[in-house]
Amino acid sequence: MIVFAAFLLTVPWTIPALINDFWVSVIAEILIWSLFAASTNLLFGYVGLLSFGQALFFGFGMYGVGIGIDQLGLSFWPAFGLGVAAAMAMALVSGIFAVRLTWHYFAIITVVFSLIFYFLAVSMKWLTGGDDGINFTLPPTFSFGATQWSFADPNFQYFFILAAVALCFYLMHLVIGSPLGKAFMAVRENDVRASLIGLNVYLLRLTAFVMAGFLAGVAGALFAFFGRYASATYMFYHVSGEGLVWTIVGGAGTLFGPIVGTTLFIIIREVVSTHWEHHSLIVGTMAILVVIFAPKGLVGLWRDILDRAMAPRAERAVSTEVRTEP
Amino acid sequence: MAKRISRRSFLECALAGGAAAGTANLRIMKDAFAQTSKPLVIGHHCDMTGVISSWGVWHDKAARAAVDIINQGGGIAGRKVELATEDTESNPASGARKLRNLIQRANAEFVIGSVHSGVMLAAIPIASELKTIYFSTGEATEATGSKGTRYSFRTGTDTYSIAAASMPWCVENFGKVWSIIYADYAWGQSTNQESRAFIEKAGGKIINSIAVPLDTKDFVPYLAQISADTEVLLPAFIGSLSLGFYTQAKSMGLDKKMKMFSSSASIESIAPDDIQGAAEGVYFFENFPRMLSSKNDEYHKEFNKRLNIDDVDARQIGGQAVMDKSHCWQAWEDLFALKQAIEKAGYKTRKDVEGVIQALEGMEMKNSLGHPQGDKMIRKEDHVGIMDCYISRVTNGKLALQKRIPKEDLLKNMPVRHNLSTMPV
Repeated sequence: MIVFAAFLLTVPWTIPALINDFWVSVIAEILIWSLFAASTNLLFGYVGLLSFGQALFFGFGMYGVGIGIDQLGLSFWPAFGLGVAAAMAMALVSGIFAVRLTWHYFAIITVVFSLIFYFLAVSMKWLTGGDDGINFTLPPTFSFGATQWSFADPNFQYFFILAAVALCFYLMHLVIGSPLGKAFMAVRENDVRASLIGLNVYLLRLTAFVMAGFLAGVAGALFAFFGRYASATYMFYHVSGEGLVWTIVGGAGTLFGPIVGTTLFIIIREVVSTHWEHHSLIVGTMAILVVIFAPKGLVGLWRDILDRAMAPRAERAVSTEVRTEP
Repeated sequence: MAKRISRRSFLECALAGGAAAGTANLRIMKDAFAQTSKPLVIGHHCDMTGVISSWGVWHDKAARAAVDIINQGGGIAGRKVELATEDTESNPASGARKLRNLIQRANAEFVIGSVHSGVMLAAIPIASELKTIYFSTGEATEATGSKGTRYSFRTGTDTYSIAAASMPWCVENFGKVWSIIYADYAWGQSTNQESRAFIEKAGGKIINSIAVPLDTKDFVPYLAQISADTEVLLPAFIGSLSLGFYTQAKSMGLDKKMKMFSSSASIESIAPDDIQGAAEGVYFFENFPRMLSSKNDEYHKEFNKRLNIDDVDARQIGGQAVMDKSHCWQAWEDLFALKQAIEKAGYKTRKDVEGVIQALEGMEMKNSLGHPQGDKMIRKEDHVGIMDCYISRVTNGKLALQKRIPKEDLLKNMPVRHNLSTMPV
């Protein structure tokens, strides 16, 4: 953990020295998409809701920033706030209807919401730029007199993204460890029993849905600043599908599983796509192999290996139950 | 007491020192090797797969053929040109990533851009921040307009210049009462908006403006909305939507009731003969005529020969694929435009990019093998190509020339809306 943190804190210097500047932006992108995958993980891994709607909230985060800067003339922080608030508001509105349902019905309704707003975004060119999207000039993040810091400085950009993503993961860690997190897991394991012990299942699911919308919204807002661009492309439900694959491969129901899955697939994409355009085939093959041979994901597999190595021989036989954090 | 150096500690120190020295060496030697005699890497941000790949593959062929000619002639400013191509997947998300890849990983110093409007608009802020000139090849007017920067250029036309070039002549010759039916996405909406302004400016009026959803299969409900008073219909569709529109409009007999005029994008990569006369009689805007006879000179002929296409349909010789000729030429000509500007500016390293920008602003290009589309200039203020344009009509399954619109007329009809030349570099 300390090595991982030290690596992340030194990326802007070590990576250009060892490879090139390009990989710094790839790592920044991995951080943002990890946060997006974490939003899927919160719902799927901890509450048992299979959502294909996270791209919708990601898109709202992006458009909040894009529209805020380009059309409303907002500066950095109000635009960031608008993006996150728009994503959470959308999550609340869609969640009110969606979390009444479960399993495939829930998945379908999240796809439907995603499609409705995708097509609206494409057709409302006057607001969203249509399928051309909105590009914008970056406002400074901090200004002190003549001194400014903005995403135009690659190091500042990287550290801002790292700080925002780390803060969100820390908040998620706090939630999972809290009574609310325990209630989420109770709903995931058996919603009927959860309701019998007095938990309001509907309200818990809605709370998780809005929280996941917050995480996806922050990721979307960060990605808009990172790309200087907002587009309806990111609202399409297949983007949610990618987040789900990253989560499952990394390890659903584990805090760091989404980071592992996202890192793995984005690095494969970056290395392979330059030489072979059908890199998605590798992603698909790996996803299938992981689901079959490591259903708890790579983080789950790693923990099982550690448990087996550390546990006394007598205990090894009974250490096969599904493990979730904390 | 002196600490004894064991074999293990010695190896650890040696490895650590070696790694540190190697890392430092990488940084130092990176600059040491940054000599101007090394090849000049030009990136091609190309839509090789995805929705617009039937155009992108031709752009790739054109850019490679142009680089071959440039290298056979001694390269650019004595430097061999290396073309680094990245597939945008016709997707803004991938496109933005691949652009960083081209500039930061492949060290492309200039980029020939995408024809996909969303991709090129996503690319421009990144290219500008990385101080890299980016040539758009698509038609979104924003790329050299409201979203343009000092680094964004185009040698071709956009929805604004297409309307400015064609509408005054079309209104005068086809009729004053127009209807527009368009695909309900950015390009269709932009065509609707820009054409409307020029039709009205030329004394015409729009009586219907009909948006058609992208997933439409049955056009009848939309075609039924077109007023019987319409004299000229402007359809704006691409690819399969275009095929669907012309086929169904023909079967409803619209071609007998009114004239139809559309942009080249509506018939790109489609030979009129292949759609069983559905586009017969329709007028199309072109900026590099499909038929050699419409601009009959040795450069046009050589362009066709080098790209192995026929002189009538721009179809691959020995194959079925048809070139998107009114867009594809830009991937070829942009490289020669860069050659001219780089050599004029005396560009050696990235630090000299401002000189290339200044050379491109207002640069004139002569009809030649490097510029087979014809004489043209890049207007200084908005970085847009000003060139002769053509209006052709599908006659007996071929695009026969009806009118050549001189570049002077285009320049006169198209006031500057955004001055990019005053923006900082």
